[in-house]
Amino acid sequence: MDCKTAKSLIILGLYGELDEGEKRDLEEHLRRCSACAAELAETKKVFSLLEENKPAVLPEVDWEKSWDKIRGGIDRRPAKNEQSIFPRWKWAFAGASLALVLGAGIFIGKYGFAPAPKPAIVSIPASSGPTSVQQAFAGYLEDVKPILLDYAHYTPGEKNGRRITVDENILRGLVFQNILLKRKLAEKDPVAAELLDDLDLVLKEITNRGTQDPQSPAGIKDLIVQRDVLFKLEIMKKL
Amino acid sequence: MEEQACIRLAREGDTEAFRALFEGHRERVFSLAYHYLKNQADAEDVMQETFIKAYHGLPGYKPDKGLNFSSWLNRICVNASIDALRKWRKKDIQSLENEEVSKLSAPSHSSNPETSARNREIREKVDQALNKLSPKQRMIFTMRHYQEYSIREIAEYMDATEGSIKKHLFRAVETLKRRLRRFVMEDGYGL
Repeated sequence: MDCKTAKSLIILGLYGELDEGEKRDLEEHLRRCSACAAELAETKKVFSLLEENKPAVLPEVDWEKSWDKIRGGIDRRPAKNEQSIFPRWKWAFAGASLALVLGAGIFIGKYGFAPAPKPAIVSIPASSGPTSVQQAFAGYLEDVKPILLDYAHYTPGEKNGRRITVDENILRGLVFQNILLKRKLAEKDPVAAELLDDLDLVLKEITNRGTQDPQSPAGIKDLIVQRDVLFKLEIMKKL
Repeated sequence: MEEQACIRLAREGDTEAFRALFEGHRERVFSLAYHYLKNQADAEDVMQETFIKAYHGLPGYKPDKGLNFSSWLNRICVNASIDALRKWRKKDIQSLENEEVSKLSAPSHSSNPETSARNREIREKVDQALNKLSPKQRMIFTMRHYQEYSIREIAEYMDATEGSIKKHLFRAVETLKRRLRRFVMEDGYGL
Protein backbone atom coordinates (compact mmCIF):
# COMPACT_ATOMS: atom_id res chain seq x y z
CA MET A 1 0.00 0.00 0.00
CA ASP A 2 1.32 3.47 -0.85
CA CYS A 3 1.06 6.48 1.46
CA LYS A 4 -1.58 8.19 -0.70
CA THR A 5 -3.92 5.23 -0.36
CA ALA A 6 -3.10 4.96 3.34
CA LYS A 7 -4.07 8.61 3.85
CA SER A 8 -7.55 8.10 2.48
CA LEU A 9 -7.96 4.81 4.33
CA ILE A 10 -6.99 6.52 7.61
CA ILE A 11 -9.98 8.85 7.29
CA LEU A 12 -12.36 6.08 6.26
CA GLY A 13 -10.94 3.92 9.04
CA LEU A 14 -11.67 6.53 11.68
CA TYR A 15 -15.25 6.53 10.43
CA GLY A 16 -15.37 2.73 10.65
CA GLU A 17 -15.84 2.40 6.90
CA LEU A 18 -13.10 -0.14 6.17
CA ASP A 19 -13.57 -3.84 5.57
CA GLU A 20 -11.38 -6.34 7.39
CA GLY A 21 -8.88 -6.63 4.54
CA GLU A 22 -8.42 -2.87 4.20
CA LYS A 23 -8.07 -2.53 7.96
CA ARG A 24 -5.36 -5.20 8.04
CA ASP A 25 -3.46 -3.64 5.13
CA LEU A 26 -3.64 -0.19 6.73
CA GLU A 27 -2.44 -1.43 10.11
CA GLU A 28 0.46 -3.15 8.44
CA HIS A 29 1.36 0.04 6.54
CA LEU A 30 1.13 2.14 9.70
CA ARG A 31 3.53 -0.16 11.51
CA ARG A 32 6.13 0.41 8.85
CA CYS A 33 5.50 4.06 7.91
CA SER A 34 6.07 6.65 10.62
CA ALA A 35 4.82 9.50 8.40
CA CYS A 36 1.43 7.83 7.99
CA ALA A 37 1.34 6.97 11.70
CA ALA A 38 1.84 10.69 12.42
CA GLU A 39 -0.88 11.45 9.88
CA LEU A 40 -3.25 9.18 11.81
CA ALA A 41 -2.39 10.93 15.10
CA GLU A 42 -2.96 14.34 13.54
CA THR A 43 -6.27 13.32 12.01
CA LYS A 44 -7.42 12.01 15.39
CA LYS A 45 -6.56 15.36 17.01
CA VAL A 46 -8.48 17.26 14.35
CA PHE A 47 -11.43 14.91 14.80
CA SER A 48 -11.50 15.58 18.53
CA LEU A 49 -11.42 19.29 17.82
CA LEU A 50 -14.31 18.91 15.41
CA GLU A 51 -16.15 16.89 18.00
CA GLU A 52 -16.13 19.89 20.32
CA ASN A 53 -18.13 21.75 17.71
CA LYS A 54 -20.91 19.20 17.66
CA PRO A 55 -24.18 20.61 18.94
CA ALA A 56 -24.95 18.68 22.11
CA VAL A 57 -28.67 19.31 22.05
CA LEU A 58 -30.98 20.46 19.34
CA PRO A 59 -32.86 23.69 19.99
CA GLU A 60 -36.52 23.40 20.82
CA VAL A 61 -38.85 23.72 17.91
CA ASP A 62 -42.46 24.84 18.08
CA TRP A 63 -43.80 21.90 16.09
CA GLU A 64 -47.37 23.19 16.05
CA LYS A 65 -46.23 26.43 14.48
CA SER A 66 -44.12 24.48 11.99
CA TRP A 67 -47.05 22.29 11.07
CA ASP A 68 -49.26 25.36 10.59
CA LYS A 69 -46.72 26.75 8.15
CA ILE A 70 -46.48 23.44 6.32
CA ARG A 71 -50.26 23.22 6.20
CA GLY A 72 -50.37 26.75 4.82
CA GLY A 73 -47.75 25.82 2.20
CA ILE A 74 -49.71 22.74 1.23
CA ASP A 75 -52.98 24.64 0.94
CA ARG A 76 -51.50 27.49 -1.04
CA ARG A 77 -50.34 25.22 -3.76
CA PRO A 78 -52.62 24.22 -6.59
CA ALA A 79 -53.60 20.57 -6.63
CA LYS A 80 -52.21 20.25 -10.10
CA ASN A 81 -48.45 20.26 -9.99
CA GLU A 82 -48.04 22.33 -13.04
CA GLN A 83 -49.26 25.85 -13.42
CA SER A 84 -47.48 28.85 -14.74
CA ILE A 85 -48.08 32.57 -14.31
CA PHE A 86 -47.56 32.72 -18.03
CA PRO A 87 -49.95 29.99 -19.23
CA ARG A 88 -48.80 27.27 -21.54
CA TRP A 89 -50.93 28.34 -24.46
CA LYS A 90 -49.21 31.71 -24.38
CA TRP A 91 -45.85 29.99 -24.62
CA ALA A 92 -47.12 27.91 -27.47
CA PHE A 93 -48.32 31.08 -29.15
CA ALA A 94 -45.02 32.84 -28.45
CA GLY A 95 -43.15 29.80 -29.81
CA ALA A 96 -45.23 29.78 -32.97
CA SER A 97 -44.70 33.54 -33.42
CA LEU A 98 -40.99 33.19 -32.91
CA ALA A 99 -40.80 30.33 -35.39
CA LEU A 100 -42.74 32.47 -37.87
CA VAL A 101 -40.40 35.43 -37.38
CA LEU A 102 -37.34 33.21 -37.73
CA GLY A 103 -38.81 31.55 -40.80
CA ALA A 104 -39.60 34.92 -42.36
CA GLY A 105 -36.11 36.12 -41.56
CA ILE A 106 -34.57 33.11 -43.28
CA PHE A 107 -36.85 33.54 -46.29
CA ILE A 108 -36.22 37.27 -46.65
CA GLY A 109 -32.52 36.88 -46.06
CA LYS A 110 -32.27 34.14 -48.64
CA TYR A 111 -34.54 35.41 -51.39
CA GLY A 112 -35.55 39.00 -50.60
CA PHE A 113 -32.06 40.52 -50.74
CA ALA A 114 -30.44 38.29 -53.33
CA PRO A 115 -27.68 38.36 -54.34
CA ALA A 116 -26.57 39.10 -50.80
CA PRO A 117 -22.98 38.28 -49.93
CA LYS A 118 -24.03 36.32 -46.85
CA PRO A 119 -27.59 35.09 -46.46
CA ALA A 120 -28.94 36.01 -43.03
CA ILE A 121 -30.02 33.13 -40.87
CA VAL A 122 -32.45 34.99 -38.69
CA SER A 123 -34.41 38.20 -38.79
CA ILE A 124 -31.35 40.40 -38.25
CA PRO A 125 -29.90 40.84 -41.74
CA ALA A 126 -26.15 41.21 -42.04
CA SER A 127 -26.55 44.56 -43.75
CA SER A 128 -29.12 45.90 -41.36
CA GLY A 129 -28.64 49.47 -40.17
CA PRO A 130 -28.70 50.72 -36.62
CA THR A 131 -32.45 51.22 -36.59
CA SER A 132 -33.33 47.69 -37.63
CA VAL A 133 -30.84 46.24 -35.12
CA GLN A 134 -32.33 48.40 -32.40
CA GLN A 135 -35.78 47.27 -33.38
CA ALA A 136 -34.65 43.65 -33.30
CA PHE A 137 -33.08 44.30 -29.91
CA ALA A 138 -36.28 45.91 -28.56
CA GLY A 139 -38.30 42.97 -29.89
CA TYR A 140 -35.87 40.57 -28.29
CA LEU A 141 -36.28 42.29 -24.91
CA GLU A 142 -40.04 42.00 -25.26
CA ASP A 143 -39.71 38.29 -25.99
CA VAL A 144 -37.42 37.55 -23.09
CA LYS A 145 -39.20 39.71 -20.51
CA PRO A 146 -42.17 37.36 -19.78
CA ILE A 147 -39.74 34.54 -19.00
CA LEU A 148 -37.79 36.75 -16.61
CA LEU A 149 -40.98 37.94 -14.95
CA ASP A 150 -42.18 34.39 -14.51
CA TYR A 151 -39.02 33.57 -12.56
CA ALA A 152 -38.78 36.93 -10.79
CA HIS A 153 -42.33 36.58 -9.44
CA TYR A 154 -41.59 33.15 -8.13
CA THR A 155 -41.91 33.15 -4.34
CA PRO A 156 -40.62 30.47 -1.94
CA GLY A 157 -44.18 29.87 -0.73
CA GLU A 158 -45.14 28.74 -4.20
CA LYS A 159 -42.19 26.44 -4.52
CA ASN A 160 -42.52 22.86 -5.71
CA GLY A 161 -46.21 22.98 -6.40
CA ARG A 162 -45.78 25.17 -9.42
CA ARG A 163 -43.34 24.49 -12.18
CA ILE A 164 -42.33 27.20 -14.56
CA THR A 165 -42.37 25.74 -17.99
CA VAL A 166 -40.46 27.23 -20.87
CA ASP A 167 -40.27 25.58 -24.23
CA GLU A 168 -36.70 24.45 -24.91
CA ASN A 169 -36.91 25.54 -28.53
CA ILE A 170 -37.85 29.04 -27.45
CA LEU A 171 -34.91 29.11 -25.07
CA ARG A 172 -32.52 27.94 -27.78
CA GLY A 173 -33.96 30.52 -30.16
CA LEU A 174 -33.45 33.30 -27.63
CA VAL A 175 -29.88 32.23 -26.88
CA PHE A 176 -29.17 32.17 -30.61
CA GLN A 177 -30.70 35.61 -31.17
CA ASN A 178 -28.65 36.87 -28.24
CA ILE A 179 -25.43 35.82 -29.98
CA LEU A 180 -26.41 37.58 -33.18
CA LEU A 181 -27.50 40.76 -31.43
CA LYS A 182 -24.31 40.84 -29.39
CA ARG A 183 -22.25 40.66 -32.56
CA LYS A 184 -24.15 43.65 -33.89
CA LEU A 185 -24.21 45.70 -30.72
CA ALA A 186 -20.98 44.83 -28.93
CA GLU A 187 -18.93 47.71 -30.29
CA LYS A 188 -21.59 50.37 -30.72
CA ASP A 189 -23.56 49.85 -27.54
CA PRO A 190 -21.62 48.35 -24.64
CA VAL A 191 -24.54 48.87 -22.23
CA ALA A 192 -26.84 46.81 -24.44
CA ALA A 193 -24.08 44.23 -24.84
CA GLU A 194 -23.79 43.96 -21.06
CA LEU A 195 -27.52 43.39 -20.74
CA LEU A 196 -27.29 40.76 -23.47
CA ASP A 197 -24.52 39.08 -21.50
CA ASP A 198 -26.72 38.99 -18.41
CA LEU A 199 -29.64 37.64 -20.39
CA ASP A 200 -27.40 35.06 -21.99
CA LEU A 201 -26.32 33.91 -18.55
CA VAL A 202 -29.89 33.65 -17.29
CA LEU A 203 -31.14 31.82 -20.39
CA LYS A 204 -28.26 29.37 -20.30
CA GLU A 205 -28.84 28.79 -16.61
CA ILE A 206 -32.49 27.98 -17.31
CA THR A 207 -31.42 25.64 -20.12
CA ASN A 208 -28.77 23.93 -18.01
CA ARG A 209 -30.84 23.54 -14.90
CA GLY A 210 -33.80 22.30 -16.86
CA THR A 211 -37.30 23.53 -16.22
CA GLN A 212 -38.29 20.23 -14.61
CA ASP A 213 -35.90 20.68 -11.67
CA PRO A 214 -37.98 21.85 -8.70
CA GLN A 215 -34.92 23.62 -7.26
CA SER A 216 -34.43 25.58 -10.44
CA PRO A 217 -36.81 28.58 -10.17
CA ALA A 218 -35.36 29.91 -6.91
CA GLY A 219 -31.83 29.75 -8.30
CA ILE A 220 -32.82 31.50 -11.52
CA LYS A 221 -34.69 34.15 -9.56
CA ASP A 222 -31.58 34.76 -7.46
CA LEU A 223 -29.53 35.21 -10.60
CA ILE A 224 -32.04 37.67 -12.09
CA VAL A 225 -32.11 39.67 -8.85
CA GLN A 226 -28.35 39.47 -8.35
CA ARG A 227 -27.68 40.91 -11.79
CA ASP A 228 -30.52 43.44 -11.67
CA VAL A 229 -31.58 42.14 -15.05
CA LEU A 230 -35.16 43.42 -14.97
CA PHE A 231 -34.06 46.86 -13.85
CA LYS A 232 -31.46 47.05 -16.63
CA LEU A 233 -34.05 45.83 -19.09
CA GLU A 234 -36.52 48.56 -18.10
CA ILE A 235 -33.82 51.22 -18.32
CA MET A 236 -32.77 49.93 -21.72
CA LYS A 237 -36.33 50.06 -23.00
CA LYS A 238 -36.60 53.71 -21.96
CA LEU A 239 -33.41 54.73 -23.72
CA MET B 1 -51.53 4.14 11.59
CA GLU B 2 -48.97 2.25 9.56
CA GLU B 3 -46.59 4.44 7.52
CA GLN B 4 -47.52 2.95 4.16
CA ALA B 5 -51.20 3.59 4.87
CA CYS B 6 -50.39 7.20 5.81
CA ILE B 7 -48.45 7.64 2.60
CA ARG B 8 -51.32 6.23 0.57
CA LEU B 9 -53.87 8.49 2.27
CA ALA B 10 -51.64 11.57 2.13
CA ARG B 11 -51.15 10.96 -1.56
CA GLU B 12 -54.94 11.15 -1.91
CA GLY B 13 -54.92 14.52 -0.16
CA ASP B 14 -55.49 13.48 3.47
CA THR B 15 -53.54 16.12 5.38
CA GLU B 16 -54.10 14.42 8.74
CA ALA B 17 -52.35 11.33 7.43
CA PHE B 18 -49.56 13.57 6.22
CA ARG B 19 -49.40 15.17 9.64
CA ALA B 20 -48.77 11.72 11.09
CA LEU B 21 -45.85 11.35 8.67
CA PHE B 22 -44.58 14.79 9.68
CA GLU B 23 -44.72 13.82 13.35
CA GLY B 24 -42.82 10.64 12.69
CA HIS B 25 -39.96 12.26 10.77
CA ARG B 26 -39.78 15.91 11.82
CA GLU B 27 -36.98 15.59 14.41
CA ARG B 28 -34.68 13.74 12.04
CA VAL B 29 -35.28 16.15 9.17
CA PHE B 30 -34.81 19.17 11.42
CA SER B 31 -31.65 17.67 12.92
CA LEU B 32 -30.13 17.13 9.49
CA ALA B 33 -30.87 20.70 8.40
CA TYR B 34 -29.72 22.16 11.71
CA HIS B 35 -26.41 20.33 11.86
CA TYR B 36 -25.73 21.48 8.33
CA LEU B 37 -26.97 25.08 8.44
CA LYS B 38 -26.25 25.76 12.12
CA ASN B 39 -29.05 28.24 12.33
CA GLN B 40 -32.38 27.38 13.90
CA ALA B 41 -34.59 29.68 11.85
CA ASP B 42 -33.12 28.51 8.55
CA ALA B 43 -33.17 24.88 9.61
CA GLU B 44 -36.88 25.25 10.47
CA ASP B 45 -37.51 26.85 7.06
CA VAL B 46 -35.72 23.99 5.32
CA MET B 47 -37.61 21.43 7.39
CA GLN B 48 -40.94 23.01 6.47
CA GLU B 49 -39.91 23.29 2.84
CA THR B 50 -38.92 19.61 2.87
CA PHE B 51 -42.36 18.52 4.06
CA ILE B 52 -44.20 20.80 1.66
CA LYS B 53 -42.11 19.43 -1.20
CA ALA B 54 -42.70 15.92 0.04
CA TYR B 55 -46.46 16.41 0.16
CA HIS B 56 -46.58 17.64 -3.40
CA GLY B 57 -44.04 15.07 -4.51
CA LEU B 58 -45.96 12.13 -3.03
CA PRO B 59 -47.71 11.23 -6.30
CA GLY B 60 -44.27 10.71 -7.82
CA TYR B 61 -42.81 8.82 -4.88
CA LYS B 62 -42.29 5.15 -5.71
CA PRO B 63 -41.36 3.10 -2.65
CA ASP B 64 -40.91 0.03 -4.83
CA LYS B 65 -37.89 1.70 -6.43
CA GLY B 66 -35.84 0.96 -3.34
CA LEU B 67 -35.94 4.32 -1.59
CA ASN B 68 -37.93 4.18 1.64
CA PHE B 69 -39.92 7.19 2.79
CA SER B 70 -37.35 8.23 5.36
CA SER B 71 -34.51 8.17 2.79
CA TRP B 72 -36.68 9.99 0.28
CA LEU B 73 -37.39 12.74 2.81
CA ASN B 74 -33.70 12.96 3.63
CA ARG B 75 -32.91 13.36 -0.04
CA ILE B 76 -35.36 16.27 -0.30
CA CYS B 77 -33.93 17.80 2.86
CA VAL B 78 -30.34 17.43 1.64
CA ASN B 79 -31.17 19.27 -1.59
CA ALA B 80 -33.14 21.98 0.20
CA SER B 81 -30.32 22.48 2.74
CA ILE B 82 -27.62 22.73 0.07
CA ASP B 83 -29.77 25.21 -1.81
CA ALA B 84 -30.27 27.26 1.36
CA LEU B 85 -26.54 27.32 2.08
CA ARG B 86 -25.81 28.45 -1.47
CA LYS B 87 -28.24 31.33 -1.00
CA TRP B 88 -26.59 32.24 2.28
CA ARG B 89 -23.18 32.26 0.78
CA LYS B 90 -24.34 34.71 -1.79
CA LYS B 91 -25.15 36.97 1.14
CA ASP B 92 -22.82 37.30 4.06
CA ILE B 93 -22.83 33.88 5.59
CA GLN B 94 -19.99 34.65 7.94
CA SER B 95 -21.94 37.23 9.90
CA LEU B 96 -24.91 34.92 10.16
CA GLU B 97 -22.82 32.07 11.43
CA ASN B 98 -20.92 34.14 13.93
CA GLU B 99 -24.23 35.17 15.44
CA GLU B 100 -25.14 31.56 15.90
CA VAL B 101 -21.81 30.27 17.10
CA SER B 102 -22.61 30.70 20.76
CA LYS B 103 -25.88 28.78 20.44
CA LEU B 104 -24.41 25.84 18.60
CA SER B 105 -22.05 23.77 20.52
CA ALA B 106 -22.16 21.77 23.63
CA PRO B 107 -22.77 24.15 26.47
CA SER B 108 -19.59 24.80 28.35
CA HIS B 109 -19.61 23.18 31.75
CA SER B 110 -16.66 25.20 32.80
CA SER B 111 -17.16 28.31 34.84
CA ASN B 112 -13.60 29.27 34.05
CA PRO B 113 -13.73 32.28 31.69
CA GLU B 114 -10.45 31.26 30.05
CA THR B 115 -11.83 27.83 29.16
CA SER B 116 -15.04 29.38 27.82
CA ALA B 117 -13.08 31.81 25.69
CA ARG B 118 -10.95 28.96 24.40
CA ASN B 119 -14.03 26.88 23.57
CA ARG B 120 -15.55 29.80 21.76
CA GLU B 121 -12.37 30.28 19.80
CA ILE B 122 -12.31 26.61 18.86
CA ARG B 123 -15.89 26.81 17.64
CA GLU B 124 -15.12 29.87 15.58
CA LYS B 125 -12.07 28.23 14.03
CA VAL B 126 -14.02 25.09 13.21
CA ASP B 127 -16.87 27.12 11.74
CA GLN B 128 -14.45 29.09 9.60
CA ALA B 129 -12.93 25.84 8.40
CA LEU B 130 -16.35 24.34 7.63
CA ASN B 131 -17.14 27.45 5.64
CA LYS B 132 -14.26 26.65 3.34
CA LEU B 133 -15.95 23.44 2.21
CA SER B 134 -18.19 23.43 -0.82
CA PRO B 135 -21.90 23.04 0.06
CA LYS B 136 -21.80 19.44 -1.14
CA GLN B 137 -18.63 18.55 0.77
CA ARG B 138 -20.00 20.20 3.88
CA MET B 139 -23.19 18.15 3.60
CA ILE B 140 -21.27 14.90 3.20
CA PHE B 141 -18.98 15.76 6.11
CA THR B 142 -21.89 16.84 8.34
CA MET B 143 -23.85 13.70 7.61
CA ARG B 144 -20.89 11.42 8.26
CA HIS B 145 -19.19 13.20 11.12
CA TYR B 146 -22.04 14.76 13.10
CA GLN B 147 -25.03 12.70 12.05
CA GLU B 148 -23.14 9.42 11.75
CA TYR B 149 -24.84 8.27 8.59
CA SER B 150 -22.93 5.58 6.73
CA ILE B 151 -21.28 6.24 3.38
CA ARG B 152 -23.89 3.98 1.79
CA GLU B 153 -26.74 6.00 3.30
CA ILE B 154 -25.17 9.31 2.28
CA ALA B 155 -24.76 8.02 -1.25
CA GLU B 156 -28.44 7.15 -1.24
CA TYR B 157 -29.54 10.57 0.03
CA MET B 158 -27.27 12.41 -2.36
CA ASP B 159 -28.05 10.18 -5.30
CA ALA B 160 -24.35 9.50 -5.84
CA THR B 161 -22.01 6.52 -5.82
CA GLU B 162 -20.25 5.43 -2.64
CA GLY B 163 -16.90 6.05 -4.37
CA SER B 164 -17.81 9.64 -5.09
CA ILE B 165 -18.97 10.20 -1.50
CA LYS B 166 -15.69 8.76 -0.20
CA LYS B 167 -13.73 11.10 -2.44
CA HIS B 168 -15.69 14.15 -1.28
CA LEU B 169 -15.40 13.10 2.35
CA PHE B 170 -11.66 12.64 2.00
CA ARG B 171 -11.28 16.08 0.40
CA ALA B 172 -13.49 17.66 3.06
CA VAL B 173 -11.45 16.19 5.92
CA GLU B 174 -8.19 17.14 4.22
CA THR B 175 -9.42 20.73 3.87
CA LEU B 176 -10.45 20.82 7.53
CA LYS B 177 -7.11 19.36 8.60
CA ARG B 178 -5.26 21.96 6.57
CA ARG B 179 -7.32 24.79 8.06
CA LEU B 180 -7.14 23.52 11.62
CA ARG B 181 -3.61 22.12 11.71
CA ARG B 182 -1.96 25.29 12.90
CA PHE B 183 -4.65 25.87 15.49
CA VAL B 184 -4.35 22.29 16.78
CA MET B 185 -0.62 22.75 17.30
CA GLU B 186 -0.86 26.25 18.79
CA ASP B 187 -3.65 25.36 21.12
CA GLY B 188 -1.94 22.56 22.98
CA TYR B 189 -3.39 19.80 20.86
CA GLY B 190 0.19 19.42 19.69
CA LEU B 191 1.15 16.19 18.08
